[in-house]
Amino acid sequence: MASSNKKISKRDTGKLLNEWSQEFAVFVPSRETGVATMAKWDGKDTSFLDWHRNTVIPPKANFLPAMEEMFNFQRDKEGYHIELPPQDKHKQLIFGIRPCDAKALAILDMTFSDSYQDPYYLSKRKNAVLVGVGCTKAYDSCFCTSLGISPAESTDVDLMLTDIGDEFLIEAITEAGKKLISRSRGLAEANEADETRAKASKEAAYQKVTRQLDTDNIKQRLLANLENKDYWEKIAAKCLSCGVCTFLCPTCYCFDINDELVKQQGARFRSWDSCAFPVYTEMPMENPRVEKWRRVRQRVYHKYEFYPMSFDVTACTGCGRCIRLCPVNWDITQALNNLPAKV
Amino acid sequence: MEQKLRDGAKALLEQGKVDYIIGFEPGSLKFTTTPLITRDKDDIDRLVINPFIVNNLSAYLTELEGRVGIVAKGCDSRSIVSLIQDKQIAREDIVIIGIPCPGLIDLSKIEQLAGKDRDEVDDITREGDRVVIVVDGKKQEFPITEVLFDNCLGCDMPTPSEYDILLSESSPLVTDKTSSRKKIEGLKGTSQEERWSFWEKEFSRCIRCYACRNVCPACFCKRCFVEESEPQWISPVPQWQDNLMFQVIRNIHVAGRCTDCGECERACPVNIQLRSLAKEMYDIVDDLFQFKAGMDKEAAPLLTAYAVEEAEDFIR
Ligand code: SF4
Ligand code: SF4
Ligand code: SF4
Ligand code: SF4
Repeated sequence: MASSNKKISKRDTGKLLNEWSQEFAVFVPSRETGVATMAKWDGKDTSFLDWHRNTVIPPKANFLPAMEEMFNFQRDKEGYHIELPPQDKHKQLIFGIRPCDAKALAILDMTFSDSYQDPYYLSKRKNAVLVGVGCTKAYDSCFCTSLGISPAESTDVDLMLTDIGDEFLIEAITEAGKKLISRSRGLAEANEADETRAKASKEAAYQKVTRQLDTDNIKQRLLANLENKDYWEKIAAKCLSCGVCTFLCPTCYCFDINDELVKQQGARFRSWDSCAFPVYTEMPMENPRVEKWRRVRQRVYHKYEFYPMSFDVTACTGCGRCIRLCPVNWDITQALNNLPAKV
Repeated sequence: MEQKLRDGAKALLEQGKVDYIIGFEPGSLKFTTTPLITRDKDDIDRLVINPFIVNNLSAYLTELEGRVGIVAKGCDSRSIVSLIQDKQIAREDIVIIGIPCPGLIDLSKIEQLAGKDRDEVDDITREGDRVVIVVDGKKQEFPITEVLFDNCLGCDMPTPSEYDILLSESSPLVTDKTSSRKKIEGLKGTSQEERWSFWEKEFSRCIRCYACRNVCPACFCKRCFVEESEPQWISPVPQWQDNLMFQVIRNIHVAGRCTDCGECERACPVNIQLRSLAKEMYDIVDDLFQFKAGMDKEAAPLLTAYAVEEAEDFIR
């Protein structure tokens, strides 16, 4: 019996990406810059097909880059002339995004299309196609499964690929995904044996995620510990107030705005900012979180208490970057799992 | 050593000689440790010493109030001395628990050798001057010098000379100064244009997270020049030229304070080759002024000391 899904051999995936390159700017996991990130595909290298986990730089950077020109300006006798930077008309196709990071984009969408429609983020995001690839071997920092995310399945992508040996099983998740499949060449029909292999592969992937976050009553437990200064002070002690955990978190979106000005012309940029920095929000006023424990607490509460209040979703996907990349191994799962039951 | 450390640290807390103990406890990921900062003697049994005690804990000294007992490897003890020289901390407020350091294992080197991410390696054990790595059940052995951090290979003082408690006699570290400078010499062998494009590529991926600065004990300024807006020394926007300038200025500020502990490069989440700048500056300072940071707590700090014979024509 045939299934409605397709498949492609790993060997032919390069061809498929080349075909997609006619229509999209294709981005793939790459270490070409010196760090694992979603970079423009060079049309040749397919080594990323063997990668089995997420990148260091989250794919949010493709929509909310570390720095971005908002507009440029010139001043003459008549006043200021403002110009928008040239728009990249290419639609991005992100190949190899992991379920945690795809979920993170769905979470960011809520912020950037809430009461204010952010044109910079949304213009890039609107046309983008996400092709997910399931993880086959989670990092020891990954805890996606505790947050209801499977490492091998996603509803936040257009197409979802599962490693079934020498081939990928391809599932169309959205209408856009279905259309993309129907106009792509070189795809074979998946059969029942392929589906069985995919199911086994997904189950195995799920088992590989071993880190656990205790999410029982988490909002209530956090609320009860809001003023537990002793606890937060103690666990915040080793934090260095750097920007690693927030900049590289796929759901953190704070940015700073700065003008670069030389003589009569310049540009306005936005760039990542972090609630961990003591100077955060000092430009408009003071940082209300002068003590370090308040800043550490803020990051946890924003993700697990405030975001759920606003959007009914936890703003953490268990991607593990903040644990793995923190220079002192500050661990959000420990912070949450060890919350005192009685204060 | 671990038991002696725990006994010593517990006694310090119990006798009220210190308010805090700073040391290392097991981290939450494979082959990691994490700083333990505590006032509670019940935490003390978690203290460990192993080849993964990477952090330079002296970075915490300027923010803690009261008396502190601190676990220090050779380079960390020099950072402590340097902070004393700069009058950032007082010697009598610090109890130094010195570890004669055998060198630390660089997990990126392990990853290179194993061809796997660190968490996929089954086991790493040091056996004297060899290291045994187990991957997929298979054992592989390498000389320890192939997996120690570059800065450990160039270490000038593995055994702290300034301490209150020393956990063992002396360090078995065998250094390899040539390997320690290999990346730098590699760069020096290229043309100026090649070097320029190398650093352009490196700093193009800097995200200005400031982890390099915040892990660094020599970066103790309450307000860093990068955050000044009047005047603005460099742009806060992470353009590569400004990122490079940030690091160049930082290296000048820490000249004579940097002990080549290697933390900046290890902390950088995007793998920028920061130690090549720091170590080159360290060696320049030594060549020009015969000065090594944190060797002598009575010595004046390099950048504030002045000798008449140092006068250059332009300031006569
Ligand atoms: S938790 Fe870690 S990564 Fe985050 S600010 Fe603190 S030291 Fe930096
Ligand atoms: S808080 Fe940490 S684990 Fe959660 S999404 Fe952000 S970086 Fe990932
Ligand atoms: S958190 Fe889950 S989905 Fe994300 S990289 Fe790890 S295993 Fe994959
Ligand atoms: S740690 Fe690396 S990325 Fe962060 S500011 Fe320093 S050089 Fe830049």
